[in-house]
Amino acid sequence: MIEIKYFGAVAEKTKCEFEKLSFSEELSLQKLLQDLEEKYAFEALTFSVAVNQKIVSKTKQYQLQTSDIVALLPPFAGG
Amino acid sequence: MNSDNRYNRQIILPEIGAEGQQKLSKSKVLVIGAGGLAATILPYLASAGVGKIGVIDDDVVEVSNLHRQVIYKTSAVGKSKVEEAKLMLLELNPEIEVDIFSEKLSGKNAISLFENYDIIVDATDSISIKYLINDACLVTNKPMVYGSIFRFQGQVSVFNYQNGPTYRCLYPDENSNALNCEDAGVIGISVGIIGMFQANEVLKMILEIGEVLSGKILVYNILNNEQQKYDFDKSDIQSISRETFEEKYNKNEVEEISFDVVLEEINNDEVLFLDVRNEDELPKISLKNQIKIPLMHLENEIEKLDKNQKIYVFCQSGIRSKTAVELLKNHQFKNIKSIAGGVLGMKQLLQEIKI
Repeated sequence: MIEIKYFGAVAEKTKCEFEKLSFSEELSLQKLLQDLEEKYAFEALTFSVAVNQKIVSKTKQYQLQTSDIVALLPPFAGG
Repeated sequence: MNSDNRYNRQIILPEIGAEGQQKLSKSKVLVIGAGGLAATILPYLASAGVGKIGVIDDDVVEVSNLHRQVIYKTSAVGKSKVEEAKLMLLELNPEIEVDIFSEKLSGKNAISLFENYDIIVDATDSISIKYLINDACLVTNKPMVYGSIFRFQGQVSVFNYQNGPTYRCLYPDENSNALNCEDAGVIGISVGIIGMFQANEVLKMILEIGEVLSGKILVYNILNNEQQKYDFDKSDIQSISRETFEEKYNKNEVEEISFDVVLEEINNDEVLFLDVRNEDELPKISLKNQIKIPLMHLENEIEKLDKNQKIYVFCQSGIRSKTAVELLKNHQFKNIKSIAGGVLGMKQLLQEIKI
């Protein structure tokens, strides 16, 4: 089970601030991001991705581990 | 008024002391934007005794600003934000210096402005300006204190601190389209909280105490009080030299002029009007001092033009004329502008005055 956190405009698309996801076989970070894109259609929204509180490249080769926390952080513009 | 008395309660903090107060009075901080974040940051920097504070913004106070930009009074609606901010700050603390710039930050003024300050604070509401601030901070080697809001959430970080990671390391994709406060909605408290985090980072850097939020982004949600910090690294591709800065922000800037300004010079013999439309494009325009060279022939027929003459270029809608201006500028033409909106914009005015 991994946890995914959503912030800002991304959370508006997902309509939730976090969700838990269980996976049986191996799941790479890239595959997870693809699945989320399909599910929520982020389209033009840009965001950075963190795994366990650390921003990583979206193309990083990484197999998600049980209890990982992934976060999608879009830039904010208000002020 | 005794200065020691004014700052006594912070001077007695062992982390600050008389030495820290000296550091504050010698420090120079530039705040970009005079909106919600700045309305929180500015009074706290001024009260703490930051010696020189600069503020740049070209806006006037609007009634819809007042709920969050709490340094402005209702009676200030319609007045310049930076002028109002200066009045307010000097009343709070007449011992400091406040410099105001009633203009927009741009590729032209950013670097010369940043060079006069130690710390640059981003209190803007536009992503493209954040990249500009970031890049100008890289060129001038200044830390950038970033803050921004999305509805009930805010982000804070310090970029380029002692050569640390930058805004581009966190958000490499420049073409994002995040909503600002005007579009997304905002409550005064959230800009207040995030602005206060920014002011805190400024003071920590000046006083050299605590841990600066460098290489970390703090995300705060005021609805559930959740606060997260995320680490990020410096990416090696994000350095910006003075040359790349100029190339990016200043090279292709084409000067445009609106036609109602041009009208005053329409019979001026020193001005040449250059029509870069094709022969068959309507309506035909014939001005007293005019030459027609379609854009596609311009480079070949460039010797028909005088590099030192004042030239206004127009086309049908104002797009090809910009390309023409760029081309001529590359050929060392000095005094050349594109007429905004082109003939479509000119037509109505021309009919009115019947040329």
